[in-house]
Amino acid sequence: MLNVRDVVTAYGKIEALKGVSLEVAPGSITCLLGPNGAGKTTLMLTVAGVLRPRKGSILFGERDLTGLQPHAIVSAGIALVPENRLVFPHMTVLENLQAGAYQRKDDFEPDIEAMFGRFPRLKERAAQQAGTLSGGEQQMLAVARALMSRPKLLLMDEPSLGLAPLVVEEIFRIIADLHRDGTTIFLVEQNAHMALRVASHFYLIEQGRVSFSGTPGALAEDELIRRAYLGSAH
Amino acid sequence: MVLLTDFLQNTLDGLTLGASYALLALGFTLVFGVLRRANLSYGPAILFGAYCATWVYLKWSAGLLILAAVTIIGSIVAGTYVERLCFAPHRRGSAIAAMVASFALWMQLEELATLVLPKHLYAFPALYEGPALALGALTLRVESLIMLGAAVIVCGLLWWTLYRTRFGTAVRAVIDDASAAELAGIDVPRVFLLVFALSSAIGGLTGFLIVSSQEQVTPMLGMWSTLKGMLAMMLGGLGSLPGAIAGGIALGLLEAHSQWYLGPQLRDFVAYLLLFVLLAIRPPWMSTRSAS
Repeated sequence: MLNVRDVVTAYGKIEALKGVSLEVAPGSITCLLGPNGAGKTTLMLTVAGVLRPRKGSILFGERDLTGLQPHAIVSAGIALVPENRLVFPHMTVLENLQAGAYQRKDDFEPDIEAMFGRFPRLKERAAQQAGTLSGGEQQMLAVARALMSRPKLLLMDEPSLGLAPLVVEEIFRIIADLHRDGTTIFLVEQNAHMALRVASHFYLIEQGRVSFSGTPGALAEDELIRRAYLGSAH
Repeated sequence: MVLLTDFLQNTLDGLTLGASYALLALGFTLVFGVLRRANLSYGPAILFGAYCATWVYLKWSAGLLILAAVTIIGSIVAGTYVERLCFAPHRRGSAIAAMVASFALWMQLEELATLVLPKHLYAFPALYEGPALALGALTLRVESLIMLGAAVIVCGLLWWTLYRTRFGTAVRAVIDDASAAELAGIDVPRVFLLVFALSSAIGGLTGFLIVSSQEQVTPMLGMWSTLKGMLAMMLGGLGSLPGAIAGGIALGLLEAHSQWYLGPQLRDFVAYLLLFVLLAIRPPWMSTRSAS
């Protein structure tokens, strides 16, 4: 579905991605692991069109997305839930959802109702400014806003970052639900334990290069990865 | 009694002057609030529009409605030209680069206008030719009434656009967080261009009302519009639209009263002194972040 080929992305002279190739299969939950500064967020921003790759290409199905503007990537069917859940703080919850449907010409009212069904807390706070929500609620709003564009592929950059364990549980339950309802998900996650429960394929990225690709089983068997990402609990 | 009449008359004059400043500040603030960048060519784009209208008037003695349309369209053309040349290339780059570039286009637009119409002063047809209204001891020019009415209508339309339309949702999203807005599928460069067009349209309308009230146009209109718009915006808090209206009215009242009580030489001095003091003590409303 998503095919990243030899992508190099640089900030000035510093190459954050030094030729990354990976694939997200349709209907899968694919997880990207890696230490801080390895290039995970850079890869997400490159796929979403915020950063332009210096080399390489990004294919989505048959379409070449390389170098497209972010809004064109959204209309192609990819939505990113960015790191630190960037909601619109001075707009209401409802307006945030409407902004997420900006590209749609059809009637999106049923989708707003569907979001309120999926996230009842957002319905209670529909008229409230998004900046007044708790961290977990903002994360749900960020996910709901991304879903309003009806993406075929949902990118999520560290959705559990800075959230309480119970809220993290809830976020992962939502990820599993979305997947069951047919959304393909490409996830960056530090919390490998949680990711192991949902993801069907893993990539490990280190210093701008993919250093491991495999199933959850292969990941758990790899001694080095286990020590670095799963601790001694296993 | 005479003192009171003077005070009321000055307040009335200040309000109408303030209405024109508020309109100028709305246009200036719209761009500043959305792009977080100062467009110094704001006034010169208005000058360009007003000179287009003057040219049309000299050539065909066109009527007021046509001249209003020409001023607004001319301002929009110049304003979007400024956006494409100065602001679009520096969207993610330096705010200073964009501001300096807009200063360069200020010179360009002013030169172009004075090249076509080189005299220092041109007559412009009057907005209203009848006598002023008498309200007891006070007088009110009909032009002032039109200016006040225009300010109210523009504020209402702008509010409606920002809070009741799809485009308004996009503008407010960009104001809140431009990166999040583009990830939500909003075409941010297009929003910037349209915001410039809207800002220039408000500026053009205001410019038309000003030159037709004064029945003359000079090349100073450009600098004057940028300075008044910027000053009123700063008085009301950077980037806040209600603040721009309040700042414009406050500036008008301040100028009208200080001109009467302290003399015309001190009029601008008092306004800049107040700005200096406010910037030094930074009252809470001057740190507003959001334009909505």
